[in-house]
Amino acid sequence: MEMVLVAPPAPGRLEDLKRRFFATPLQAVVSLACLTIMVFLVWKLLNWAVFSAVFTTSGGPEACQAAAGACWSVIAARWRIIFFGLYPYEEQWRSALACVAVVVMTVLSCIPAFWTGRRIALVWGAGTGLFYVLMKGGVLGLAHVGEEAWGGLALTLFIFVTTCLIGFPLAICLALLRRSELPWISRTTGLIIDGVRSLPLISILFTFAVVLPFALPQWLQGDKLYRVILGSALFFSAYQAEIVRGGMQGVATGQEEAAMALGMRYWQRISRILLPQAMRNAMPATINQFVISFKETSLVVIVGFFEILASGNAAYGTGEWRFAYVEVYAFIAFIYFIFVFSLSRYGAFLERRMSVSER
Amino acid sequence: MISTNSTGEPALRIENLDKYYGTFHALRGINLSVKRGEKIVVCGPSGSGKSTMIRCINRLEQHNGGRIVVLGTELNDDVGNIDEIRREVGMVFQHFNLFPHMTVLENCVISSMIVRKQPRAQAEATARRYLEKVRIPEQALKYPSQLSGGQQQRVAIARALCMQPQIMLFDEPTSALDPEMVSEVLDVMVTLASEGMTMICVTHEMGFARRVADRVLFMDGGEILEEAPPDEFFTSSATSAPDNSCRRCWAIDWKQRSECVTPHAFRHLHD
Ligand SMILES: Nc1ncnc2c1ncn2[C@@H]1O[C@H](COP(=O)(O)OP(=O)(O)O)[C@@H](O)[C@H]1O
Ligand SMILES: [Mg+2]
Repeated sequence: MEMVLVAPPAPGRLEDLKRRFFATPLQAVVSLACLTIMVFLVWKLLNWAVFSAVFTTSGGPEACQAAAGACWSVIAARWRIIFFGLYPYEEQWRSALACVAVVVMTVLSCIPAFWTGRRIALVWGAGTGLFYVLMKGGVLGLAHVGEEAWGGLALTLFIFVTTCLIGFPLAICLALLRRSELPWISRTTGLIIDGVRSLPLISILFTFAVVLPFALPQWLQGDKLYRVILGSALFFSAYQAEIVRGGMQGVATGQEEAAMALGMRYWQRISRILLPQAMRNAMPATINQFVISFKETSLVVIVGFFEILASGNAAYGTGEWRFAYVEVYAFIAFIYFIFVFSLSRYGAFLERRMSVSER
Repeated sequence: MISTNSTGEPALRIENLDKYYGTFHALRGINLSVKRGEKIVVCGPSGSGKSTMIRCINRLEQHNGGRIVVLGTELNDDVGNIDEIRREVGMVFQHFNLFPHMTVLENCVISSMIVRKQPRAQAEATARRYLEKVRIPEQALKYPSQLSGGQQQRVAIARALCMQPQIMLFDEPTSALDPEMVSEVLDVMVTLASEGMTMICVTHEMGFARRVADRVLFMDGGEILEEAPPDEFFTSSATSAPDNSCRRCWAIDWKQRSECVTPHAFRHLHD
């Protein structure tokens, strides 16, 4: 006779829910109460954000203010300020293209196929070059637009990307110098790193934007924007240097010895053996640092730049839309969320990818 | 290039080598000459300076006194000399030290490609030949973490051989292995020896020493206390050594268990 093995019936979804949330009368009451509150909150939110919201600008601010829900018309009316700041109206397509260029560049450099020195350099060179030419103009028949007029999302992206592009290599240099065998080099580097880390970012930005021009000769000053980016990159690199150094400490000393025994030179050992392993160890903390830096770009407002958050203030700040600040902030929060969330998902992807070769 | 036709010059000549770690005198006046094709086994209790000595040969440690001449090139502060010597001297470590972020094949080709500047195809062909030789050609695309200890050590040997070195240094290559994996590594080393490689091995594998070594050195307290062909070393000197000396205990211990036990208790006899 044939034996038929019957698996015990898998507990259904309903059964599972019952067991988890309605095991005892008290539990049932608590569960129901929580459920009610949740449904209520979600409904309130949806009602505000969607059902009773106003999406068109046709009625103007007045129609909007009268409505019970969110006034998204402020976004429809003012999105150009949020994205482009004070950039001249007829030229804003350039700012939009520049944003696209930076985003494409970032996405490309996140793809492992582009991780060779030449390709990365090409992508970054082309990306930042395109951004700069588009934003600044003055060539190829594009009208000149000074840095003081840059703003909104474009400025935020530019500051973030350049901070990382300058700060990251600087961080690696600092980390390498800090582990130098010559004590005076490692101590000096340690002093610089600790010094920068002990200062608040705001004071560094302020120093670079406002104080530095008094100390530097005219030809060395550059535009305020680039001084601010340098300050922000310095701050980034001090933190990132410690993260990289931590990652390096996690690499066994035998790794470098093996590389030496194979005849590799200093830079070959660093670039092929030490850094790949150190960066792998430092990946979670590094992604964290990127996220923090992205959000810290909003501090440049104190030295007079209208990045996305400050542009948001301007978007509702002019009389007629004054009541609609919640919507503006919700919208900006959403933009931040998109960028930061993709960054952390990308970090998770990298960790998964790297874990293949580990232990 | 290091000249290979200077027949008179030994592969390695060490004269009066001194090495300090801070104030600690780790090597005391070492003298050693190794001919081309010669196989040397170095033994001695832990902390006696065996690793320090062979690490001086490729400048993983910097010596403080005396001379080291490898393949006719003197080891000094000249970086060019150091690079030249490291290219010609392969090393195998106790803990393998494979690069965990690269596959077995990449581990083997990287130095040929970036140090010897060989094209990838040629480097890979060489690597596959040596992986075949250490009997793991089928593991080429795996990562080191996916291999057993014995397999990893054989990859480490193949990786060193891919640079086509003239001298191979082994620092206790089987000490970190589970007992059942020791022989697969020793077999590879025996084959290598039979092909005429110049080898300096720190090991406590008595059977290997008997079979392969031209000379066995016994070190303790940073000195070479004895130097003899294996037959002599294992039979006569064990009994002829002074009754309570470290050397004697060591040799007897070797005979009984053919592995290392540290006779720290006897260190004071040499000071
Ligand atoms: N990097 C180091 N710094 C200080 N002392 C060391 C260092 N490496 C080894 N020593 C000391 O030098 C002596 C010889 O070490 P080593 O050559 O590793 O011995 P062996 O390999 O024979 O066990 C030991 O006493 C050890 O403590
Ligand atoms: Mg040792």
